[in-house]
Amino acid sequence: MILCVAVDDKMGMTFNRRRQSKDALLRKKLLEISKGHRLYMNNYSAKQFENVSDYNIVVDDEMLDKACDEDFCFVENLPIKGYEQLINKMFIFRWNRLYPADMFFDISLDDNNWILDSAIEFEGNSHKNITMEEWIRYE
Amino acid sequence: MNKIKKSLIAGMLLLVIVLSIPTGCGIDDSTYKYTSKDMYSDEMTDVSNSESEKTVNTSTEDTTRLTDNTNVLSGQNAIAITQIPEYSGTPYVVINNNIPQFSDTDLSNVSYEYYGELDRLGRCTTAYACIGKDIMPTEERGKIGSVKPTGWHTVKYDIVEGKYLYNRCHLIGYQLTGENANNKNLITGTRYMNVEGMLPFENMVEDYISETNNHVMYRVTPVFEGDNLLANGVQMEAKSVEDSGEGILFNVFCYNAQPHVTINYANGDSAEIIDETVTKPDVTAPQPDITVPQPDVTVQQDNAAATQLQPQDDGIPQQTDGSVQPKSQSDTVQVWVSATGSKYHSRNDCGNMNPDKATRMSEGDAINMGLEKCSKCW
Repeated sequence: MILCVAVDDKMGMTFNRRRQSKDALLRKKLLEISKGHRLYMNNYSAKQFENVSDYNIVVDDEMLDKACDEDFCFVENLPIKGYEQLINKMFIFRWNRLYPADMFFDISLDDNNWILDSAIEFEGNSHKNITMEEWIRYE
Repeated sequence: MNKIKKSLIAGMLLLVIVLSIPTGCGIDDSTYKYTSKDMYSDEMTDVSNSESEKTVNTSTEDTTRLTDNTNVLSGQNAIAITQIPEYSGTPYVVINNNIPQFSDTDLSNVSYEYYGELDRLGRCTTAYACIGKDIMPTEERGKIGSVKPTGWHTVKYDIVEGKYLYNRCHLIGYQLTGENANNKNLITGTRYMNVEGMLPFENMVEDYISETNNHVMYRVTPVFEGDNLLANGVQMEAKSVEDSGEGILFNVFCYNAQPHVTINYANGDSAEIIDETVTKPDVTAPQPDITVPQPDVTVQQDNAAATQLQPQDDGIPQQTDGSVQPKSQSDTVQVWVSATGSKYHSRNDCGNMNPDKATRMSEGDAINMGLEKCSKCW
């Protein structure tokens, strides 16, 4: 699967079961990069995409168990470590801000399994600077 | 102007309610609601608040809140110092399962703000606001150095980021309500509490409001022990209004602490904790190379053909040469270093830097050179 997550400066994802932040242009970017693929997300995330049509969004709380190689999974509030072996690419969106966090992105980027392949920066709707990093497996 | 108008309306509301309260008697909840409705007849709507109903104040407590400024929302609701666990290395702890203790009548989809009167010792009490985009600042922050909050000392330590132990901490952050030198909104707070404790929550609330145009009910209460002049910390509560807390909901206590510094909360005196058993890392010592080979990483600006990229005001500066070779996660952060300075920066024009002579490198390399993080631009 191709994993997509958004994190803060300390790799936080949620606080008190709520996403740290959201941005309309990040969602747009997510739809762009996943075009032509299935885009899995759970019911929590799907609320952000209620007005979106013409994309292959699949809402399923068991998405990490069901996604295939080329499927995108947008994960906001789930531990991911147990599925690391099933991930062949990751898009990590960085808010470039610090938020409170009690759940963190739990895949280590320091253990040499992953390398940063590219990064772009874009201005969000309410965020001055969002970085989209593409990480691929280090073979 | 809009903000002033809202403050005036809030003040009028308080005045009307105070005048309507019979001496020595409580006011029933319906009177308060009626007054509020009357003032905001066309604008204000009730907001369901199932989670705070569990802890809603009695009507008598509401009366106290509105008539006794020194206890506005704090006397009844503020966390007792004895309920707070001792600081143990994390900048904040959760209170009451993150459920704030707002009453239904606190919540509004019309912006307002209130700053409690200083107490008999000159200490800040509670500040609260229903924050909407219309009262958020549109200008850069002004000067606040004229305010000397209780317990204030100008004291510097090398171990503190930015050197200064104490900041003038906004109870309600400038980014939320645009208050500058308001002495009812500034307390003496450690750098650590300001940056690691309060700022993340302020960021989260600011971004939520900016993105949704919704309102957030927000309250910050400094917690003092006895007659101490320095707060032990601040209680921060927030709840998003239009979605009944689905977007923002927290109740936390941020410690007014600073790692490696001991603080006398009675008067703000402080001293560095010298631990002979701990050896500070020698940042000038040569660091081992990371031997894992990494491919070039192309950094592209979205929708742009240009390869000569400019730094951004905030966030991670972009590359000038179009590529970086990250060795680890920390090394993906790129910084700017001036020709002569002792700091590294997030942008190449911080302070008096000459952007033309600034150079790019990873944060790790900057630290290895013995440079310190600039407190102005990070």
